[in-house]
Amino acid sequence: MKGIFTLLALLVAGSAVAAQASESGLADHPRWKALLHINQGTTWRYQGRSYVDDPDFFLHEDGATEPQAELEANIEQLRPPESEARCRFPARYRFLSQQLDWTDDGGLSHCADYVEWRKAMPQARVALIFPASYLNSPSSMFGHTLLRLDRGNDEDGVWLSRAINFGATVGGEENSILYIYKGLVGGYPGYFSNVPYMNKIRDYAHLENRDMWEYQLNLNESEREWLVAHLWELQDIRFDYLFLDENCSFRLLELIALTRPESDLMDSFRIAEIPVNTVRALDESGFIESSKYRPSKAKELDALIQRLSEVEKDLALGLSQEERVSETEAFQALAPKRRHLVARTAYAYLRLNNREGERTQDVAARSLALLRLVNRTPSVKEIEPERPVSPKKGHGTKMIAATGGTMGESGFGEFQARLSYHDWLDAPAGFLKGATIEAFNLQVRKAESDDLALERLDVVNVRSLAPRNQFRKPVSWFVNVGLDRRFIGNKRHLTRQVQGGGGLSWALGPVMPYAYATGRAENNSAHDPFVSTAAGAKTGILWYAGAFQAGLDAEGLYYQNDDVSFTASATLNLPLGSDHAIRASIEREGGRERAETEFSLSWRYYFD
Amino acid sequence: MRKMLLAVALIGSSFGAQANAPGGPGCGWGNMVFEGKSGLPVHLVATIVNGTSYNKTFGITSGTNGCDTSVPLAYQGKNMLAQQGVLEEVAQDMAVGDGEALTALTVSMGIQPRDRGHFKQTMHENFNTIFSEEDVTADEVMTNIRNVMESDEKLATYS
Repeated sequence: MKGIFTLLALLVAGSAVAAQASESGLADHPRWKALLHINQGTTWRYQGRSYVDDPDFFLHEDGATEPQAELEANIEQLRPPESEARCRFPARYRFLSQQLDWTDDGGLSHCADYVEWRKAMPQARVALIFPASYLNSPSSMFGHTLLRLDRGNDEDGVWLSRAINFGATVGGEENSILYIYKGLVGGYPGYFSNVPYMNKIRDYAHLENRDMWEYQLNLNESEREWLVAHLWELQDIRFDYLFLDENCSFRLLELIALTRPESDLMDSFRIAEIPVNTVRALDESGFIESSKYRPSKAKELDALIQRLSEVEKDLALGLSQEERVSETEAFQALAPKRRHLVARTAYAYLRLNNREGERTQDVAARSLALLRLVNRTPSVKEIEPERPVSPKKGHGTKMIAATGGTMGESGFGEFQARLSYHDWLDAPAGFLKGATIEAFNLQVRKAESDDLALERLDVVNVRSLAPRNQFRKPVSWFVNVGLDRRFIGNKRHLTRQVQGGGGLSWALGPVMPYAYATGRAENNSAHDPFVSTAAGAKTGILWYAGAFQAGLDAEGLYYQNDDVSFTASATLNLPLGSDHAIRASIEREGGRERAETEFSLSWRYYFD
Repeated sequence: MRKMLLAVALIGSSFGAQANAPGGPGCGWGNMVFEGKSGLPVHLVATIVNGTSYNKTFGITSGTNGCDTSVPLAYQGKNMLAQQGVLEEVAQDMAVGDGEALTALTVSMGIQPRDRGHFKQTMHENFNTIFSEEDVTADEVMTNIRNVMESDEKLATYS
């Protein structure tokens, strides 16, 4: 009864103050909140207020924390025809004029700068771009995301598109420790930038050899208009850049959510925005229409090499050194199309090797000579690399595992949790083969004879196998920082350790053998010196068999104080769908006085 | 605690890298074909610290020297060729007869879709004239392209 009365009262009151009511409701409108970048509980910081601190972004002095006050200030300043504020906030103007039915007030026609910019900005299509992992830079290990605005359709290509990127801006004088610290607490400004997309293709696919995935979004014309108009509002607006959550990918997610505020994009809490998860979130919310694979220059070379016979490979190598090889009998004996392929390979190889560093006259001359050879031999079509599984289809980036096993005479149970992201025996679809990128991998173990204890904590564990062949001679490497256990004397001690190494690897079909030289520094309670150092070697084989992954690994370390440790292991990982895997492992580990054999069986669950 | 912080820092630095600066470290370096990537140390620094040490770019500031060319429609072929690394891609596409960079050139020069195939074929056939030597600059390449177009019945209408 009370409810009905309230309802009636509301109805009566509502019609009386219709104008104010619609205005007061507007501050809670999802699009208004999106336009002000209000955190609706998606990340830790700044909940219930705007992410933006920059006063230039608001028309009211408390606009960052009071959306209602900001709304009123906007209505007041955007309402008069020829208002200057409209030219700064065309998307807010669009919102208010639609909601409050402002008609015949001249719109934005007086905003010459905006109108010119707007005409120049492409907006026929919008795509989310995902340059894949780049292991050789710590800042790009998990990939990156940016937006692309296209001028036309497929026929026009995308080289003339624009790239919208969100990144931190760093003063040159600061060192990286301060940078990391400030990155965490929010000391660095982040800005949106708007640059030619061809520059991004050059940076990622050509210079850093990263494959790129281009996900076309299905935004309609009106939705694209929201996006582009709002981009203008973000020009020179300062955000805080936080590495874990409020990073490049999160800001793009916000931008896309603006186009469809009713979507569920920002509904779930996002603890750390890994770029590939942004792609998946968009996919799950139905934004992705199609995807395109843009192989790196290195992948293009690999695809060419695969088509050549051994003789042709030698010819291509020779040709890249000396164009005169094209006059030899062996080269002339090839069919014209084979000559084309060999010349293409030689050129691709020469350019890949000389993409960095100063230009030399000799390399430039050889490059042109090879292109002329390519030019006068008949073109061969369809030499593009095979398209791998899209990163959005890979296993979840977080993982928990339950393990049971025995070590020596004693049984144990173990729990594992990994914040991110992939190890080289996990299902490789959608990830880099031969790469491990782990952060915050925690294992706690309860053995029959012991209390619950920390077994292992990888703060960072990165391993990169870069296969070598006649043409490419990359170096493989690994870095591991964290805590682990090993036999010192008769007991397994917890050690705080840093280790790393460089090495070589090869790809023989699905099998990847590798060998590393390793170094390790550790702190443990059994050794006298605060830090013990060790050197050693590590070798093994990975086998990507399609239905499962298997690995053999052996490692030995010799310590400065004459201690030794070794491990040898065989592991089998059997994925069950994309979310689960069974992993079985046998490991022998030991030191000077004692060694034990461990059998274990795990169930691994990948999520998020 | 310190260890934890460092840990968080290390993970954090991995997200959302912006490996290169707007405008590009090689900005203004030149526009010859087959250039290398210059300014590598700067690039590395920008990569490692996950950001850019350059001025932000956004609006309609103009430049044609291989820096940020932000006037989106003003490529007109020549400006596009002046972007670092583009000339090399165009050269490769012309040698082969097709490719994305060559397509972009046709679009930026205003070649109608029905004539693009012919344009590409003509460029392919005149590769040696257009890329006359390894030191050729973007300006010279553009002049050579125009000359080739002028002596072609169909393409002459565009130049």
